[in-house]
Formats: sequence, C-alpha cells, structure tokens
Amino acid sequence: MEQLWTRFSKAFLVQNRWKMYFEGLGNTLLIALIAALIGITIGVVMAMVNYINKKTGKLKIATKICNFYITVVRGTPVVLQLMILYFVVFAFWDNGIMIGAITFGLNSGAYVAEIARAGFESVDDGQMEAGRSLGLSTWQTMRTIIIPQAVRNCLPSLFNEFIMLVKETSIVGYVGIYDLGKIPGLIQSRTFDYLFPLLIAAVLYLVVVLALTRVLHMIEKRMAKSDRNAGGATNGK
Amino acid sequence: MENNVLISVKDLSKSFGELEVLKSVSIDIKAGEKVVIIGASGSGKSTLLRCLNCLEDPTGGEIIFENENIADPHVDINIHRQKMGMVFQQFNLFNNKTVLENITLAPVMVRMQKLRRQKHLALFGKAEKPTETKAQILAEEQEKAMALLARIGLAEKAEAYPSTLSGGQKQRIAIVRALAMNPKVMLFDEPTSALDPEMVGEVLDLMKELANEGMTMAIVTHEMGFAREVADRIIFMDGGVIAEEGTPEALFGNPKNVRLQAFLAKVL
Repeated sequence: MEQLWTRFSKAFLVQNRWKMYFEGLGNTLLIALIAALIGITIGVVMAMVNYINKKTGKLKIATKICNFYITVVRGTPVVLQLMILYFVVFAFWDNGIMIGAITFGLNSGAYVAEIARAGFESVDDGQMEAGRSLGLSTWQTMRTIIIPQAVRNCLPSLFNEFIMLVKETSIVGYVGIYDLGKIPGLIQSRTFDYLFPLLIAAVLYLVVVLALTRVLHMIEKRMAKSDRNAGGATNGK
Repeated sequence: MENNVLISVKDLSKSFGELEVLKSVSIDIKAGEKVVIIGASGSGKSTLLRCLNCLEDPTGGEIIFENENIADPHVDINIHRQKMGMVFQQFNLFNNKTVLENITLAPVMVRMQKLRRQKHLALFGKAEKPTETKAQILAEEQEKAMALLARIGLAEKAEAYPSTLSGGQKQRIAIVRALAMNPKVMLFDEPTSALDPEMVGEVLDLMKELANEGMTMAIVTHEMGFAREVADRIIFMDGGVIAEEGTPEALFGNPKNVRLQAFLAKVL
C-alpha cells in the first residue's frame, strides 16, 4: 500500500508534476477546439458546395475538388497527415500546437463534410423553393434559411465530432507536441514507472469526455424539448 | 387588349431528362384575370405553373413578363420573382423563423439590398443619397406584416413558429407572405391539397377575397366548386398540352374533349 502511494506521489506530486498533466490537458483541449472550428468551417463549406451543386447543377468543379479532398483525407492515416504537415509543409514553423490543430482541422473537415451533408439533406426542398419564389438569391436563401436549419439538425453530431477530436488528438505526441497523451511518457522517463502516469492521463481524458458527453445530452434534450413544444399544436400535449 | 396581357407564354416546353412534361404550351394571362388550371396528376399542370416563375427552368419557348423573356437564363430572374407571389401545396413556411419574420424576411432583404446599392452609387455621385435607414425599413415592413396578419385574424401568432400552427393557418400565412412583396400576380400550386378537409374553407375564402380585389391569379387546384366560382377561364391540361380551355360554364357545362369529360365524371 505504502509502495503504491510512493509510486503515485512520484507520478503526480513530486516536483509539482501534476501541473504537467493539466498543461497537457490544456494543450489537448486547445488543439481540439481550434481543430473543431477549422473542421466545421471546411466541412460546412464543402457540404454547402455539394448541396448547391445538387440543387442547381452549378459549382461542378468545386464539387469535384471537395470530393477529391474527402477521398484523400479519409483514405490516409491521420498520423501520416500529421507528419507531412509537421515535417514537410510547416517545416519552417515551430508552433507544434498550431500545426497539430491545423492537421486535425483539415482531417476533421472531411468527416464534418459528411455530417453537414446529412444536415443539409434533412432540410426540406420546399424551404429553398419558397426563398427563391420570393425573389431571394440562392445564397441569400442559404444564409438565412437553409444553413441555420442544417446546422441545428446536425448540432449533436458536430459536438460529437469535437468529443472525438479530444481523444484522437492524442497522437500529436508522435511529433513531440506536449499534449495530455504525451505527458505519461515524459514522466516515465524520469521515474521509470508507467503505471500511474498512464492511469492519471486516462482518468483525465475520461473525466473531460464524460463532462462533454453530458453537455451533448443536454443539447439533445433541449432540442427534443423544443421539437416537442413545436409539435404541441398537433399533438395536443 | 394587347397591352392588358401580364404574362405571355409562347411554345413553352419542359422535359425532365427523356420525359417530356410540357409540349409547346401557349397561354396569355391578362392583368386581373383568374386562370384555373385543372387536369389529372401527371398532366403537366403543376409544371406549367412552376415554369411561370422559372422555378422549373423551361427547356424551350418564351415567357414574356413585363416586356422581358424571363425564360432567358441571362435575365435576373430574382427581380421578376419579387413581383410573382407563389403559394405551395406544402406551405413551405421558413421553419427557423417566426410568423412575423416569415413575412418580413424577403421584403426587408430586397429593400436592404437596394439601399446598399444606392449607397454605393451615391458614394461615386451617381445617385441621390438614400434617405431611409435599416430601422425605418424594418419598422415599415413589420407594420405592413402586422396589418396583413390582422387581416387574416392571426395577429396574435406573430411571434409563434410555424410548427405550432395548423395547416390552414400556415397556408394563410404563406399567402400573406407572398402578398407582402406586393406581387402583380399570384401563383397557387394546389394550395388546399395538403390540408385537412375542415381547413380548406378558410384558405379558399382568403383566395376569393384576393380574387375580388382584382389580383391576377393562376391556380392549380382540384377544388372544382372553387374553380367554377372564381375562374374567368379554365384550362384543362392533358398529356403536356392544353386540351381544352374556356369559361367555367363552357368547360363544366359542355365539355368537348373526351378526356375532360372522363376527368369531370371522376371529380364532380
């Protein structure tokens, strides 16, 4: 028992090592957040291009480019993408956290594109027709009517993508970025003991993911509630 | 007589891939006229109506509206659509907007667009400096929308979302949403077909009111009683062509076309 406590202490308390975990966690969340913002932007734009192409037949070349991008990004391992960006494209840049965030943003964009595509497809065709029949342009209708409804419809999936990112970004340690997943290795190199550093990192990931999942459930609940209220007139309850 | 024609359709054709839905259809709709289009499903009546504001791009022919061929893809169709109100079978109210916003959205956006353009021109001394502001436009359009809502007795629903309304309420709001643009013609695409039977009356009553005020209307409907009462002219579509047209008395009283006789026997 006492021996376990010493091992834990070495992994967490000695030399204020607990700070390292939280710094790592901070970096993890920062990378995931920036990556999510980049990913959602890219993904929604690509889904929009696809949607406009489907509805109007315009933007043929842009759609081809998007599909090519999605195929390449989804068809190659993210570790390789990270290494290409870190060691080749941004070789001149020493801001590892930003490079990690950009990598995962570009990667996540391809996946968000599929989520957002489903979101756009869930919006009734009549909404676009109604906007156009009033004399609004395609883009005016997209901006005020279609995009808000599409984003609302896929909000839970988008948030889920963010949760995925928090865990997936742990591979940025591969190129020497100090995120939460990298910290156990650092501490083990001093104490030669992997048990507690790994456990602590795992618990921290778990706590964050559980907290975010709770937020997700709250979002889903709220949406279900507003849907119920919306249907109140016909349901009677 | 000649100047009185608001929309002139010449040799309009429309194909979806191999399927030829409209085959060289020609009609003139005069200002103030109420034209009701009837026919079996698949006869091309909805497609004809949807071509009038180019919601379906015609494959051939001309649609002359205000001295311009709006079937020409080089014409800015949005400007013309602002003067052609359209009412859909499925209402198509904007789900993410309140009733009031549904009505004010398009007029405000269109007027703001004009305002910005005028501001740009004024910057280079090419136009008068605009005197109205965004707040003024918004207030004016909201007032107009509230007046329209009061007219159909739904003023208290201004802040409600479409999903809380009944079908009849939705369709009446969809009609006044189109009216808020001050259209020169109203196109109705089976406006009562998706309604519960008890709500058909309230929508038809509003349409009759509009007709009595002199609005030009083109209506695709299966409500034969309404057609007989309101229409100046009835067009019977069959197989992508106009099979017979004339006054309600002539068409209902003495149908000549065999297919029309069969159609009327089924629906009357």
